[in-house]
Amino acid sequence: MTELTDRYVWAAVRTVPEPQRSDLEPEIRELIEETVEAHLASGEEPSAAERAALVQLGDPERLAADYADRSLTLIGPRYYLAWMRLLKTLLATVVPIVTAVVFLAQFLGQGEVGAAIGGAVATALSVTVHVGFWTTLVFAILERAGATDAGLEWTPEGLPALPDHSRHGRLPDLVASLVFLGVLAGAVLWQQVRSVVRADDGSVIPLLDPALWSFWLPWFLALIVLEAGFAVRLYLRDWSWAAAVVNLCLALAFAVPAVLLWSEGRLLNPAFLDAVGWDPAAATGGGWTVASIITAVVVLIAAWDVVDGFLKARRASAPVPRHPVLVDH
Amino acid sequence: MDLDADLIAGHLQELRRGTVVLACLTRLRTPDYGYSLLESLDGLDIQVDANTLYPLLRRLEKQGLLTSEWNTAESRPRKFYRTSPAGDGLAATLAADWDRLTTSLHRLAEGELP
Repeated sequence: MTELTDRYVWAAVRTVPEPQRSDLEPEIRELIEETVEAHLASGEEPSAAERAALVQLGDPERLAADYADRSLTLIGPRYYLAWMRLLKTLLATVVPIVTAVVFLAQFLGQGEVGAAIGGAVATALSVTVHVGFWTTLVFAILERAGATDAGLEWTPEGLPALPDHSRHGRLPDLVASLVFLGVLAGAVLWQQVRSVVRADDGSVIPLLDPALWSFWLPWFLALIVLEAGFAVRLYLRDWSWAAAVVNLCLALAFAVPAVLLWSEGRLLNPAFLDAVGWDPAAATGGGWTVASIITAVVVLIAAWDVVDGFLKARRASAPVPRHPVLVDH
Repeated sequence: MDLDADLIAGHLQELRRGTVVLACLTRLRTPDYGYSLLESLDGLDIQVDANTLYPLLRRLEKQGLLTSEWNTAESRPRKFYRTSPAGDGLAATLAADWDRLTTSLHRLAEGELP
């Protein structure tokens, strides 16, 4: 018995509750002594034998955990799936809701888009970290408390619905596209005839530059009609590589002129800006101008739309497997 | 093709996992202490590490399958374990299952189809 053995014993027993230590210590001492004895019997020097024995027994905390039958994982297989499902659900619901609320509250309260976006992003990050930490903590405690997993069991009712590749399954996409395009076309027309802003003499001041009616606004309205026709075709015939290319052309035809007009300051009506006293080129709190933020958002949405089209085309053109349940998932 | 040594070791460990318990419960019908048990099992080609065996014995004792007594008569105090009546019963059940499995596997290996 040397100091090295004493330190090993202490490192092991200190990880179990006080009352169990006096019980555990003699057992570990016996284990060490017998292991040392075995090494001595094979002709090693006493100090080398002790060292070799301790190395053989391994990490004292692991040994103590084996004795106490204590789990060495943060969240073991019993709770892992429940933890993962709950975490995904919370992240997919709580984070977007809180982020949207914070954005709206800040935007409506202060009227600055940049500051509101900044606040919303900071909130999203902090909520994500909090949700992750507290969920994991609760499950780590459950893992150790050994509670029965009431309410967390898997049930057949919770099985996901099969992916719907029929026309019926594409109906929500069609409705969403048509509603969006209708609202967009309506907004373009409405701002011309019944804008919220009026001049002193009561005449309407449109949001968009009326000079654009010579070419660009009819162009955009025509594109909206084409997009609607394209949405109906997707509903009837599903995505294909050709459809994805058409989608790309439509997106470019819309986004490129929109971004160019916007960045050259030709999209908005100067009279409208004068009337509301707003300059989109002015920097907001974050150092971004509203103009550049909107440009970035438009480019991102267009890019996602194009990528999404190709992803859906790839999914739709995958060879039809013999067993329909195994489709691409 | 040679199988990965780790892969083989992993499967062997899986296969042997429960047999150490059966070996302990059977062997400890005669009282003995940890290291002596380890050496006698080793002599029978049942290999188990000391840092696995000692915690296992303590767990089996907590489950009421072994009883223990400290022997302080010799130069070193040693904890002697003995199979309890409950442990004896479990050993019989496990051994019967082991025999049944061995028979089944042999019949399978001989190409018998159900």
